[in-house]
Amino acid sequence: MNITWLDKIENFLSGIFSNIKLVEKGLLGLEGSYVELLTVLSLGLLAVIPVLVPRKNRQFWRHVNQVFGIAIFIFVVFTCLGVFGMIRNFYRGLNEIGRENIIALYYCSVPVTILVTSMLFGPAFCGWICPTGALQEFMSVFTRKQTLEHKKNGYAFSYKLFVTAIFVAVVFLLWMYRLSVTRLFFIEDASIYWSEVLIILLFALVFRMPQWDLKLRRLRILSFAIIVVGAIMSLRITSPVHFGFAKVYDPASFLSTVIVALSALVIPMVWCRYLCPWRCAIAWAAKHTVRKIEFDESKCVKCLKCNDACLLDAVDQGIINVDECHMCFKCVDICPAQCFSLKDNWKKDEK
Amino acid sequence: MRNKLFFQISISIGLLLSPITVISAEWYSGRGTGEGKASIIYSGDRELNEWHYIYKSNRRYKPGLAVWASPALAVVGGHPMAFIGGYDQTMHALDLVEKNVVWRKITNGEIQSAPAIAKVDGADVVFWGSADRTVYAYSAFSGRKLWTRELIEPSSTLGQIFISSPYIHGNNLYISCFAYDKSIPRNEQRGFLFCLDTKTGDIRFRLAVSTGILSDPVGFEIDGRQYIAVCARRGLLQCFDVNADMPNKVWEYQMPHEVLASPVVTVDTDPPMLYLGSKYGNFTAVNARNGKEVWQKMAGNWIDNSASIGEINGRKTVFVGSHDYCVYSFDAQTGNLNWKKPVGGEVFSTPTFFRVDGEPYICIASLDNHLYIIDAKNGIIFNSYFTGNPIWDKLPKGEYLWGSPASIEAGADTCIVYGSFNDMVYSIPIMKPCAITAMARSVKSLWISLLAVFLIFCGIIMPVVLKIPR
Repeated sequence: MNITWLDKIENFLSGIFSNIKLVEKGLLGLEGSYVELLTVLSLGLLAVIPVLVPRKNRQFWRHVNQVFGIAIFIFVVFTCLGVFGMIRNFYRGLNEIGRENIIALYYCSVPVTILVTSMLFGPAFCGWICPTGALQEFMSVFTRKQTLEHKKNGYAFSYKLFVTAIFVAVVFLLWMYRLSVTRLFFIEDASIYWSEVLIILLFALVFRMPQWDLKLRRLRILSFAIIVVGAIMSLRITSPVHFGFAKVYDPASFLSTVIVALSALVIPMVWCRYLCPWRCAIAWAAKHTVRKIEFDESKCVKCLKCNDACLLDAVDQGIINVDECHMCFKCVDICPAQCFSLKDNWKKDEK
Repeated sequence: MRNKLFFQISISIGLLLSPITVISAEWYSGRGTGEGKASIIYSGDRELNEWHYIYKSNRRYKPGLAVWASPALAVVGGHPMAFIGGYDQTMHALDLVEKNVVWRKITNGEIQSAPAIAKVDGADVVFWGSADRTVYAYSAFSGRKLWTRELIEPSSTLGQIFISSPYIHGNNLYISCFAYDKSIPRNEQRGFLFCLDTKTGDIRFRLAVSTGILSDPVGFEIDGRQYIAVCARRGLLQCFDVNADMPNKVWEYQMPHEVLASPVVTVDTDPPMLYLGSKYGNFTAVNARNGKEVWQKMAGNWIDNSASIGEINGRKTVFVGSHDYCVYSFDAQTGNLNWKKPVGGEVFSTPTFFRVDGEPYICIASLDNHLYIIDAKNGIIFNSYFTGNPIWDKLPKGEYLWGSPASIEAGADTCIVYGSFNDMVYSIPIMKPCAITAMARSVKSLWISLLAVFLIFCGIIMPVVLKIPR
């Protein structure tokens, strides 16, 4: 039997994912340590950082927070921060209430912490913690010049981005071919369909971005509905980046992660814009947040730097669309006239 | 005495009521014979159907531990039966034809290994060890007690106990037991090999073999002499001549790394060989006469569990699963790789080897929560079954042995019996439609499903989403 170099890569990957939980493995042996609750602690701390860091060098600290978030959830605690897994685990946690309360708390704690911190501090989870978002943001740096030019041209057709989209599609098809002949696929591996849809969207948007961009963002609701129905039907669908949290080499999840990362080269934050199911819940919480970015139009010099800085097109001449905002504060930090300010409305106006 | 008399009467009645009792394969150990196939033959005319058995006892599982140990199968009273214990501290005797529980016996400790079924005075008796340091012998048919024997003296400072699956030869029952006494004056970590009388439970000998946990003992006969091999967790494989009153160590072999599995043996190769896998993936064949290594192969990751040995085209073949997601088939004599098959997760179970209409198959359990039926000749996956998510989300890998499947060869009624870590014991007829058949896709259907998603998304979803007014 011939072992190909692809076999060697797969064996290597399965090897490195088999034992990456550096801290929890040691602590698990301590009965009653409730090490699971490290998750809540970590997440709570990461969510408070956006409030604490000074305005100066805020973007640097944001990236540090993102890297730290990825590291702690991959190497330390066992909690799926994958966008599908959080919804599924929340439902599972609800079912455990009254049976295994610690387990119930463990499963419910992550989504509840994210929603609560989103209501307190705004949707900072997306901009400061989410590993999927951070991965896309880091990837988009490589094609930032092209995508910014694309944006300034009103998203007119771009050959460069079209070729990049073809490259992403080819990677997906070749990888799928390889996986299809080496392993069986199960319902858990349905994240490949999200990858497929993401590639279809890339092609659609390369041609029709100005007309279809906002309308296609509604797909997030459909994505959310499918995952909720799947959770209720006990279908375990693993999300992109899940393999990083779960300590197992999950080829379908790994492929989906690669496709999400490569797609971000064509359209920055493409997963968050069109397919992230978790964004529906966070957008709802963000509408009720007590911490908001306010815009003073009278100071605006119409330089449009805030428009250019926002990877999600959530800012239009200073007006922020809260359904899309990730609370990354790029617009706030880049504004030369300091038109933006943070307001904490802890007490609603009483009329 | 009264118990024994009652036991014999109940056995006699059982035998009278069941004139077609068939013990088609002799059971010596938890995995059948020393070859570890874990398969029996059933030639009765009763149909075997799908059954999902669950039992909610009041005992609380320890988080992270597997739920069920491996089952042992036997045809008792004309019916194929499964005997399976678990971390609910209970031994369950399941009638796979009638789909009911014949009897249950609660012990005072977890049952970590498969029981063994053997004849005592012509009657089928189930033997098992429990973490309460005791060996139990009960009638397979009625669940009446024959005897129990405490192996280690109780003490308030005793820590965790590991007790193996029994191995029975003639009137001798061999079993290993590890106990850790944490007190300073009695600070003792000893792994003992015991030999008990199968009729009375009397201890014939007790031998300190290691300072650590021991594997299941495995027995074999070479040149008319009986040998027992047992491997310590730290990788020391030892072989004892057990023909005299006290065993005599014949040889020892140090495995390259830690070992969780138990050795399997075949005497049909030249020389007779023992096979054992270790952490880091070394799979070794050892000459059973002298303990010399005959060949060694590497898997891509840990080998947790034991191998099993079957016969393909007249040649002995050894099958083993690894944490590198693969099942391996090696020629037992030469160690040549016949095939290697990746599945969807770490292969943690021992394969069970069986035949359907003369065609050889193996069945393995994987950490992707599926059972796979694999054609033993070429490694092609015949079918797979979804056996549920673990009841604990954080099963520590490489520290415990989880239950493995066993099989009943019965032609069109061929069945797999498996205690899954989702709390269920499954009896799965593999040649019939089954509710838990996995929704695994073939290569063709995978591409068809991708095409279907493309058409549905482009033809329905995207137009509808674009049409809805804001």
